[in-house]
Amino acid sequence: MSNQKKRLNGGEREDEDEDDAEGIGEWERAYVDDRSWEALQEDESGLLRPIDNSAIYHAQYRRRLRMLSAAAAGTRIQKGLIRYLYIVIDFSRAAAEMDFRPSRMAVMAKHVEAFIREFFDQNPLSQIGLVSIKNGVAHTLTDLGGSPETHIKALMGKLEALGDSSLQNALELVHEHLNQVPSYGHREVLILYSALCTCDPGDIMETIQKCKKSKLRCSVIGLSAEMFICKHLCQETGGLYSVAVDEVHLKDLLLEHAPPPPAIAEFAIANLIKMGFPQRAAEGSMAICSCHKEVKIGAGYMCPRCKARVCDLPTECTICGLTLVSSPHLARSYHHLFPIAPFDEVPALSSLNDNRRKLGKNCFGCQQSLIGTGNKPGPCVTCRKCKHYFCLDCDIYIHESLHNCPGCESIHRPKSVSLMEE
Amino acid sequence: MIFKIEDVEVYFPYDNIYPEQYEYMVELKRALDAKGHCLLEMPTGTGKTIALLSLITSYRLAHLESPIKLIYCTRTVHEMEKTLAELKLLHDYQVRHMGERARILAIGLSSRKNLCVNTKVLAAENRDSVDAACRKRTASWVRALPADNPNVELCDFFEKYEKDAERALLPPGVYTLEDLRAFGKKHGWCPYFLARHMVQLANIIVYSYQYLLDPKVAGIISKEMQKETVVVFDEAHNIDNVCIEALSVSVRRVTLEGANRNLNKIRQEIDRFKATDAGRLRAEYTRLVEGLALRGDLSGTDQWLANPALPHDILKEAVPGNIRRAEHFVHVLRRLLQYLGGRLDTENVEKESPVSFVSSLNSQAGIEQKILKFCYDRLHSLMLTLEITDTDEFLPIQTVCDFATLVGTYARGFSIIIEPYDERMPHIPDPILQLSCHDASLAIKPVFDRFQSVVITSGTLSPIDLYPRLLSFNPVVSRSFKMSMTRDCICPMVLTRGSDQLPVSTKFDMRSDPGVVRNYGKLLVEMVSIVPDGVVCFFVSYSYMDGIIATWNETGILKEIMQQKLVFIETQDVVETTLALDNYRRACDCGRGAVFFSVARGKVAEGIDFDRHYGRLVVMFGVPFQYTLSKILLARLEYLRDTFQIKEGDFLTFDALRQAAQCVGRVIRSKADYGMMIFADKRYSRHDKRSKLPGWILSHLRDAHLNLSTDMAIHIAREFLRKMAQPYDKAGTLGSKTLLTQEDLEKMAETGVQDMVY
Repeated sequence: MSNQKKRLNGGEREDEDEDDAEGIGEWERAYVDDRSWEALQEDESGLLRPIDNSAIYHAQYRRRLRMLSAAAAGTRIQKGLIRYLYIVIDFSRAAAEMDFRPSRMAVMAKHVEAFIREFFDQNPLSQIGLVSIKNGVAHTLTDLGGSPETHIKALMGKLEALGDSSLQNALELVHEHLNQVPSYGHREVLILYSALCTCDPGDIMETIQKCKKSKLRCSVIGLSAEMFICKHLCQETGGLYSVAVDEVHLKDLLLEHAPPPPAIAEFAIANLIKMGFPQRAAEGSMAICSCHKEVKIGAGYMCPRCKARVCDLPTECTICGLTLVSSPHLARSYHHLFPIAPFDEVPALSSLNDNRRKLGKNCFGCQQSLIGTGNKPGPCVTCRKCKHYFCLDCDIYIHESLHNCPGCESIHRPKSVSLMEE
Repeated sequence: MIFKIEDVEVYFPYDNIYPEQYEYMVELKRALDAKGHCLLEMPTGTGKTIALLSLITSYRLAHLESPIKLIYCTRTVHEMEKTLAELKLLHDYQVRHMGERARILAIGLSSRKNLCVNTKVLAAENRDSVDAACRKRTASWVRALPADNPNVELCDFFEKYEKDAERALLPPGVYTLEDLRAFGKKHGWCPYFLARHMVQLANIIVYSYQYLLDPKVAGIISKEMQKETVVVFDEAHNIDNVCIEALSVSVRRVTLEGANRNLNKIRQEIDRFKATDAGRLRAEYTRLVEGLALRGDLSGTDQWLANPALPHDILKEAVPGNIRRAEHFVHVLRRLLQYLGGRLDTENVEKESPVSFVSSLNSQAGIEQKILKFCYDRLHSLMLTLEITDTDEFLPIQTVCDFATLVGTYARGFSIIIEPYDERMPHIPDPILQLSCHDASLAIKPVFDRFQSVVITSGTLSPIDLYPRLLSFNPVVSRSFKMSMTRDCICPMVLTRGSDQLPVSTKFDMRSDPGVVRNYGKLLVEMVSIVPDGVVCFFVSYSYMDGIIATWNETGILKEIMQQKLVFIETQDVVETTLALDNYRRACDCGRGAVFFSVARGKVAEGIDFDRHYGRLVVMFGVPFQYTLSKILLARLEYLRDTFQIKEGDFLTFDALRQAAQCVGRVIRSKADYGMMIFADKRYSRHDKRSKLPGWILSHLRDAHLNLSTDMAIHIAREFLRKMAQPYDKAGTLGSKTLLTQEDLEKMAETGVQDMVY
């Protein structure tokens, strides 16, 4: 019996990769999950070679960069640094589908976890809440808060996929929550939608208009196909709509939401916000923290106004409602306001004149040679301001992590070179 | 953009042009130069209409010494409005760039129902009663009655139009139906008669096929067109059927009863006139003696009569003596009705040629062929004389006379079929006598003969060599264009096996097999769970659809479908179907998702678009062959074989495949759109069937997609939908250009067209 089943499975796999891992030996499963054959392609002479993805990834990254800078075209734009984001995860029947391995649900949870960490890393002043859709009803998993751990714990709590999905219910619930946040904060919703329909109790168009009116920026990441209503929702509220092709793409799409979006124009009024910078409590001092109501020894912060103890920063003091941050948080949010202009692509190194070639033999960032294999010029980019050349890896590193151009820094302030080298 | 095609400067209102549009224009221009007819197939969504309009108007501007006129025929009022809207845009552009020289007069012409502005007339519910209500107010004898007569109600708009007779003109411009109504209201002129008057003067006329093809109407509306006219039939894949319908008449028992009542009424009227105004009847008699050629002196509004035969045939002869007197004519008609009634009483299916029908009519009822020929004209002359305005009530007798005239006129290309009951319901007697036309070229021949160029164009004209044979004309250009695309936005698939690997088909011996029904059901269940928003299914016939839905309901498949999407079904009732369509669209809009069950050859398959999210997937269950046991079809096939040497099988396949292509073609209406098409029948994988699909579908039908089972199709669909959901790059970056700018075109003109495009 099992033999027969195996053959059936094998036959199917020949057509498609629609098989389930059932009935395959343990050793086989590793390969099935790995899908290493997908990373191969045939070249002109019929030889199998690993797919060289770096160029594709770089093109994708450039497009993203351009998109961001196009949104920021012209002068400096305002960005919402204080974001209140609700992540809505659709755990309806469709989330149990196995086209992502092991299931959509697990993949979503995994990447949302990564996203939450990344999000707090990039937006230390922001807060996240979690909502799930199950059985056609939306549930609040966690309220808005600044601690990644609580969210992740609540999310991983119980993963099961049941019933229909309802976009309207989710939007209504989130709208209710977000309507209360202070006006300087940016209200955002990020929906991970795996279902292909929505069973709503009322007219969803009204709900969308309501969200639009209260300036909710709704973005949707679909897991299977483009849905009109999601597209409509995103268009109306100014969010992004994207559909994930595979797991890697899903991760990329999610992480695209980590940097703060440009502020909605009519909403971008300057505002003074009262913030407290709490001191870290002395080692060994005992206190009951106000967030978990537990006795903690050391490790904690004290609200400068009411002296209550909190565990994590940033947060809002549960006693007096003061926003509590630390100064590194503010500093880390700063670079979003002054992004580095995207580097220009250099067509081919050989076409440049000698002067340039001398300058650009090595990447200015990592000092690696820019000459690729076979003495052919490899792809490289150049900064518009300092005209230094960089390799693609450095390009990504500078724009996504460093947020400073080493070339420009070394020209204007030679002193800071030493800093950069650290 | 402005560019040159050979010697013609083309004004195109957009900044970019698709390569296929450019090619289309080049071919069209060659046809115009050669003053010949042409057949052009170009997929929908590639801007066929604007390419056509801008080339023809530009051609006209380039040859102003002998300006050509354009008659643009559409199938529906909706398409007419769309065409006029595009024309307006084009016209504005041309005027902006060329000044007053480019000004033209373009109007849309439709029935009174669409053009009337008199609220009282519009209150009537259908087209015929609107026509009648209008005639009641505008007939010359009604208007001749004294104005103070309280029983006479006139139409103010028409009165004003008549009063201003010479001055009532439309200034140049493009007028949609709405514009015409607004203009009419503003000036107090009747838009319908104004438009009809302006048809002679307009440079561009947009109207329905019937105005040109149906000889009853064509005689009035289109008789004074110049030879230098370009006639365009848009969406013309069904043009042969339109031609045939225009010349086919069916008579039922109800028709005969109605006609009898009509005759009684006419009889009474004649008696009344005899008593009061015998002079009128006598005048008519003398006029008929002089021949019908003289009837041109009737005033404009009374001209609603016309002749289903070719005009010159009848104008040469005078009305035969024995029906010139009104009473005699009524007697003849009575005998005719009696004869027809007798024939309807038959128990068996009878098939006859017009010649033998006429001879038996002659021997049994004593009506000669010549008399038959004049019936239609004679009736209308009589009705005018008797001042009958409520023409809608006299439809039955008009049908009978129409029948008589056609039988009397044509000896070939027709057959008379009498069926005592409907084939599908043998126990319900419903006798019907059909005069069916088999030769599509009869109705369209005058059009080809009279006009310089006739352009037949559609998204689906494959196989393109069959149309010239069916319509018997010689095109100077016949081409099929492909669609240039930035991505593979259509995904046709041929599904031959169900999930259990058993073949699926709607072949007669297989269609009721529970396995096939289940496999079809499973296919749909799986598809609705992975396709977002709207899914459209086409079945081969109403009876098949009813059967399969009933079975799905019993086996619970329908319930499974409903878990994912709402289900809507097309019925034969137009109102019901419209309502279902409305709700279908709403369900697609609000994200609930919906499935629409429809029938190939139905109203939905012909005229309704399922673009964007309204149709992400079309499933064609089976091959939509015509009902091959139908007597009419058999007679037509026989005629086609004998006359045009078209094999029965070839024609049936051609007809089925064009219907299938038409159904699946509903899904994509522009390049930014995307959609899947599933042909679920094993017969589609055969080369003789598949090759008859239009080129733009075939070019996307990959070999790997020719012989799929349900699970493979699902996998492909999933991948396709994901791929299509990615951001759309409009200009096309990879390899071939799909949007040409002015510079591209200039470059193209230098290097020669062909090597640039492909």
